[in-house]
Amino acid sequence: MAFPNLEYFKRDRTRQLFLIWFFLTPSLIIFTLYRIIPLFWNGILSVQFWSPFGESRFAGLYHYEEMFFFDEVFWKVLWNTILFMASAPIGIALALLVAILVNTQIRGRNVYRTIVFMSYPVMTVAVGIIWQWLYNEKVGLINYVLISLGILEKGVPFLGHFSLALPCVILASIWQVIGFYMIILLSGLQNIEPALYEVAAVDGANAWMRFWKITLPLLKPLLFLCFVIGIINSFTSFDLIFVMTQGGPAHATDLLITRIYTVAFKLSKFDYAAAMTVVNFLFFLGLTLLANKLSGGEAGAVETER
Amino acid sequence: MRQYPRWPIHLILLFVSSLMLIPFVWVLKTSLSGENIFSYPPALLPRDPHLFFYVDVWYTIPFFRYLVNSAVVSAIVVAANIVFNSMAGYALTRNFPGKRAMILLFLSCMMIPFQVTIIPAYLITKKMALLNSYLGMALPVCSTIICIFVFKASFEAIPKSLIDAARIDGLSEWRIVLRILLPLSKSAIATNVILAFIWSWNNFLWPLVIIRDQEMQTLPLGLSRFLTVVEDTTGALYAFCIMVLLPGLILFLLAQKEFIAGLTTGAAKG
Amino acid sequence: MKTRWQVVGILGAAFWAMALAGASPAQAQKKMSVLTWNIPYFEEGFKKWVVEFNKKHPDIQIERLDKKGTEWSTFYQTQVVAGTAPDIIDIQGALWLEYASKGGLLDLTPYMKKEPELAKQFYPEVLKGWIYEGKQYALPFIISKTLLFYNKNMFKEAGLKDLPKNFDEMMSSARKMTKGEKSGFMTLNFDWLYWPLFAMNGIELLTPDLKKAAFNTPQAIKAVETLAKATQDGVINKISWTGRWVEPNDAFAAGSVGMFHAHAPAFLWFKSKAPWVNEETVGAAHLPGGWSTPNSHSILISKSCKYPDAAWDMLKIIATGEGAYALGTGTNNLTGNIEVNKRLLEYFSKTLPVAVPVLKTQLEHLDKLCGNWPIAKDAEVKEAFYPELQNALLGRKSAKDALADAERKVNRVLQSR
Repeated sequence: MAFPNLEYFKRDRTRQLFLIWFFLTPSLIIFTLYRIIPLFWNGILSVQFWSPFGESRFAGLYHYEEMFFFDEVFWKVLWNTILFMASAPIGIALALLVAILVNTQIRGRNVYRTIVFMSYPVMTVAVGIIWQWLYNEKVGLINYVLISLGILEKGVPFLGHFSLALPCVILASIWQVIGFYMIILLSGLQNIEPALYEVAAVDGANAWMRFWKITLPLLKPLLFLCFVIGIINSFTSFDLIFVMTQGGPAHATDLLITRIYTVAFKLSKFDYAAAMTVVNFLFFLGLTLLANKLSGGEAGAVETER
Repeated sequence: MRQYPRWPIHLILLFVSSLMLIPFVWVLKTSLSGENIFSYPPALLPRDPHLFFYVDVWYTIPFFRYLVNSAVVSAIVVAANIVFNSMAGYALTRNFPGKRAMILLFLSCMMIPFQVTIIPAYLITKKMALLNSYLGMALPVCSTIICIFVFKASFEAIPKSLIDAARIDGLSEWRIVLRILLPLSKSAIATNVILAFIWSWNNFLWPLVIIRDQEMQTLPLGLSRFLTVVEDTTGALYAFCIMVLLPGLILFLLAQKEFIAGLTTGAAKG
Repeated sequence: MKTRWQVVGILGAAFWAMALAGASPAQAQKKMSVLTWNIPYFEEGFKKWVVEFNKKHPDIQIERLDKKGTEWSTFYQTQVVAGTAPDIIDIQGALWLEYASKGGLLDLTPYMKKEPELAKQFYPEVLKGWIYEGKQYALPFIISKTLLFYNKNMFKEAGLKDLPKNFDEMMSSARKMTKGEKSGFMTLNFDWLYWPLFAMNGIELLTPDLKKAAFNTPQAIKAVETLAKATQDGVINKISWTGRWVEPNDAFAAGSVGMFHAHAPAFLWFKSKAPWVNEETVGAAHLPGGWSTPNSHSILISKSCKYPDAAWDMLKIIATGEGAYALGTGTNNLTGNIEVNKRLLEYFSKTLPVAVPVLKTQLEHLDKLCGNWPIAKDAEVKEAFYPELQNALLGRKSAKDALADAERKVNRVLQSR
């Protein structure tokens, strides 16, 4: 009985493999064309002296040397990027809270859900302009409120302040992205069967234990996803930074991505920017792999053998 | 869960909602009255509301043409995303040699921000003779890794027993995806639609670089042309924001029904 | 099942056809493109240029492009890499140096030599501004430079009768006008617009051979310390050093700044936000010493242009005669052409009389232009210098340390490849 089944299995298996690869192909093509090839383009450029006007010579590791040993701005920007990423869990935790609350059966949850999400479809440029006004030293709403409450005597120039500028930008960025985290986590929460909670409740588990033992583990793949979204959000904040602070004051709000763009298109040093791109890529890849490990590997896939 | 009092939940959500809403109130107010937003003290209600700015925008630029352009590009992007991402997401739920490498590959693609791909992407689009076209604008975002993983997570949450039963019944892979997995992943589809739409609708830098023909511009691009002289802090800018924001919001409201549908199906499938 | 696939097939084909709509086919006709910098409303005048151009070159079609300043260089450089660079370009400020130094622009000197009368039409100091390594790369398009706007009411309130005659007087006048929300002085800071403050104090940025920093001198330290103290005391509005051009213009429009060092286009801009601005309330003058930084637009030809002689003809149309006049009236600016400006001033005295005093300053003291060195790495030098200056002016570092650090960084930029 095993013999004929094995034959059948083998033929079926190749067909299955073929189908799987076929399913992957369209996306693979797009990524190859628009991500992977550009990455290689950047890689090749990073070891050359190149200008859009035709010059092209081999440069070896010149740009990397310049970056690591002589470029103070690079290290500053790298540090800013790390700080930016470190604040992602805050936004995710907030979004998780909101998602859980919205997932209950309370009335008006649709309204709350929509309101929290509304900030995401707004163009980042617009978000930057709005928040720039909110933070304005003389006429911004935040200063107005703080002064009225007596916490401050004079307006604080948030976006011109060397230490406060970055947290302020981060806050604006969290405001924009929290809705995104929320719908991702919500779609995950809704995939958890209520039966699981009921069984646990019957077994005597309280809400906190239910959250910790059931919700969190089942949300792991999506929490990992949210972290990755946090990374992408740091890229999207590009527009936010250019509108609010242009990376200032004195590179206090410059991230790797804005620095790369400035160096490439404003200073016309595409080769140096390419080297920074490679470093940026490796940095975030490392970060993602770390996050992957922490959330269980395989992009946090959950083996559901129920 | 049912025994808990409602009001703390409402309180927290109300607080969060008002925080999220304040910037919008401000945008709406200024777009209606066009005051210099640098007037002090900041007031919450518009002083002389008027719809001038919305009408102005409509007439000064070929608004309708740009709207159509954006709509076509977004339609292509959304359709492509649903098809490609669900396929790839499904493939990633199966075990096959090279799966680890594939996941790693997809993850690393996410670490490549758009801004560093501008020039090579332009050259590639040029090679494919797609400059200045809808497809050229749509192609780079026709599949996104996040949405693939959303589908993957959604498919994985479906009990294996269902799939195995279907296989024993002799259904082909296609059928399994179409008839069983997708209907049970309504919220993942909704998420895909919303996100793909927002990303393609708000896309600014890419159309800017590959469109040379005025007629083919998308809405964000067209509106920003309008803002050239009337820079930044005026009601026109805010009318612009509102008009670009609305379609995404409307789509979200429409797709919300799917969230609810997903909820009930989830309860039924146990 | 068959019909469903048929439907899918047809939909797919329709989709494909629609998607490919607009993809540009190969062009058989001769084309030249003109890329301007943020003047999309300038249509009438542009049409005049094309008509004039087609009289001499009926076989060449002109394509019009326009991009905002923030996107201009991204668009242009992408097009260069793709081999489809716009042929005639309008660039603001010093960006052209980057491209000229890398061989991306056409050297106009041979053309200028063939027509020696042409150069006489332009202000020599202005034309000189576009020479790099002995080669002329551009003709003037729209000229603008910095000047001092002053709030006459605030001067009166502080009991000040005359405009300051030197740097110290300027600081003390500013101090007298500072009260509460109001500050005495403000400046724009993009590009090198703030440099006149340094030129007034006899400070040079680089050595004459442009190879080394020359600004780390006791004079400079003293000047920076004065400016820093003034900033901290609110005499100089902080936005001068942290804002773009929006915030300073708005602050002046709100009537809270006594002296505003800005470029000419700022006038119409803040005037549109401040109904109280007119000849009685706002005056236009020069900075003490007549120093100013130019921020002009120039018109140049890309090296990759296929029809350089035709492009040169277009340049002449744009920069002289009726073409330049149309540009001036269409954008409310002055051009680099002496005769045309005379006509434009007449025109503005009838249509925009309030702007005439402002525009007149643009043509005076052209020998006192500063902040316009022909450095290939202009943007990088500025990037190395300005953040350190900010550090000093905003009180983060002492002037001595900031200037020393800036010197180190600028020298590094000038030395590296």
